[in-house]
Amino acid sequence: MRVFLRLLKEKNMVHNQGNEEYSIETINLTKVFRKKKHRGIFGFLRKKEKSQSSNSKKDLTIALDHVNCKIGSGELFGLLGPNGAGKTTFVKCISTILIPDEGTAIVNGFDVRKQTSLVRASIGLAIGGERSLYWKLTARDNLAYFASLYKMPRSITKERVEELLGKMELLDRADERVEDYSTGMRQKIVIARALLHNPPVLLLDEPTLGLDPTFSRQIRSQIRELCNKEGKTILLATHYMKEADEMCDRIAIINNGKIVAVDSSDKLKAMVKETELVEVSCYNLPSDPEKYLKSLYPDIEIVTLIPGNEAEGTPSRIKLMGENAEKRASKVLEALLKKNAKITNVNIGTPTLEDVFIKLTGAKLTEGGAE
Amino acid sequence: MKKTTYLESSLNTNAFIVWSETLKNIKFLAAYPVIFVFWTIFPLFWFIPFVLQGQALVGNLGPSVLWKDLTGNTEVVPFIIIGAILNGYVLNALYGVGESIREEAYQGTLDYVLASPCNKAYVLIGKVLSGSISSTVYAIIQFTVCIFLFGVTITAWVIMPVILVIILLILGLYGIALMLAAVSLQLKQAHEVAHTLDYIFYVFAPVRYPLQFLPFWAQVIGQILPLTYALIATRGLMFNSESPSTIYLAIFLLLIIDVAAILIGFYLFNWMEKRTKKSGTISHY
Repeated sequence: MRVFLRLLKEKNMVHNQGNEEYSIETINLTKVFRKKKHRGIFGFLRKKEKSQSSNSKKDLTIALDHVNCKIGSGELFGLLGPNGAGKTTFVKCISTILIPDEGTAIVNGFDVRKQTSLVRASIGLAIGGERSLYWKLTARDNLAYFASLYKMPRSITKERVEELLGKMELLDRADERVEDYSTGMRQKIVIARALLHNPPVLLLDEPTLGLDPTFSRQIRSQIRELCNKEGKTILLATHYMKEADEMCDRIAIINNGKIVAVDSSDKLKAMVKETELVEVSCYNLPSDPEKYLKSLYPDIEIVTLIPGNEAEGTPSRIKLMGENAEKRASKVLEALLKKNAKITNVNIGTPTLEDVFIKLTGAKLTEGGAE
Repeated sequence: MKKTTYLESSLNTNAFIVWSETLKNIKFLAAYPVIFVFWTIFPLFWFIPFVLQGQALVGNLGPSVLWKDLTGNTEVVPFIIIGAILNGYVLNALYGVGESIREEAYQGTLDYVLASPCNKAYVLIGKVLSGSISSTVYAIIQFTVCIFLFGVTITAWVIMPVILVIILLILGLYGIALMLAAVSLQLKQAHEVAHTLDYIFYVFAPVRYPLQFLPFWAQVIGQILPLTYALIATRGLMFNSESPSTIYLAIFLLLIIDVAAILIGFYLFNWMEKRTKKSGTISHY
């Protein structure tokens, strides 16, 4: 590896050209997709309606809307957003897989529009999860193949592949086909692939999606280590609140293609600190609790409503937020009791990142993600 | 100061890309051994019926004066065998590359290939090369079978010139494969396009019959296909049925078609890659 780096330095290495403070900077980054309208099997015979041929707003999906964002060198930066918020489009624009319609991004000092090869060489990509490997090839073959695409010399490839397989604790199964691996093992290979050419910037899109807690923990600690020990800049796109909260130095909350807030987890939480939170667990909820409580207290916001299952002994949970929510809690409880609800627990707590997310995006949570 | 691991292209790194892509595709084939069996036997089944049909019509497949008037050679069977073998290269190039691009998009690996700093043309060369290697394996098997079944013979000195013609054919097919890869990026389902092209080659190139059998307009179409000149040159060399000037001319025209196909292919692929990256359809399948 040292030889490889020396070779690069001597012959071809391209230094960061401009701002060393930031590894990724987006300037009015915009991406718009045209909505595809399916007009049936013989739709092509029918004349296009006026609106279908025009560029009217309703025919377009604005995936990224003039996004301005700066990610510092060596920073672990979280991009948090519900499904369809624009996370993957953001990653794809930065990685040159998509061409922005407006604005640009500077990655490691290189412009994604004009210096695509240099940007590509600067980033390690982990998107698409376990499906993005050749399942009929072994882990070793997969890594060796992708190393060639990064123009790594053959002599260095072997050494680097061994090193990464060792790091991922997969050396003993390196010659088995990827199809025989577990999801977590495949995800490790996806991350190893991103590290092959030792890039300064890593773009990780949902790296722990679908993994069991053990593998998730392993992957998370490896990501943190890459940032802390190797000084890599990491963009982590995720919809797992806990993951972003625990791992990231700063978090950007993205919704409808716009970044609505960027800051450290603590500072984001401080944004809703003034508002109190009350969590009520109960059985036998009224039929439309949100409507019912809103009719009584219009200024109280119900941020989460998770229906329970009485047969299984799981109570429903209502999370209320708003000024003086604590003081109003007794009235809310009274209102619920009036409707024969059985209160099992009342908890007054401090806001979590999840609460910030909900407040800013308006999205309510289901188990594991946002809707 | 940050650094990238960007390496300038060198012959060595580009050759490594082609080699890795070729090896990868051959390993895929090896993962499904039944494909080898299918593609080896299938071309035999493809031309044997025509040989037998000819036999049923004229009673035997011995030397034919009429055939000699048309092709310059009295033997019917070797004529058809050469057509079948060279057409095998066309089949592999057309279906192999189109399907491979679609598979990559379906698997989710296409994004990684496109987001890598290498020149994608070398990846496509690897795809065509792996197809050509398997075609050569099939060709050797077919020819060996034909030596035993139909008593076909080959003169040693023509082997090298024939290999050269096949290489020129592969270059032309590479250009066509680039065009097909471009179409695959946009249309996704390239199988139908490959199928159509396959039949264009099959009907308008002199695979099973001499070009003179076709009406004039069809001959014009045949004359822009690289397979036509590859067949004229190969048969001319193997059967000594054409004058050296005809063979040289066929090779020269094949070379011109190769250059044109590669240039158009490159342009089309780059244009389509940019277009699909803009529209966002690049990763769809």
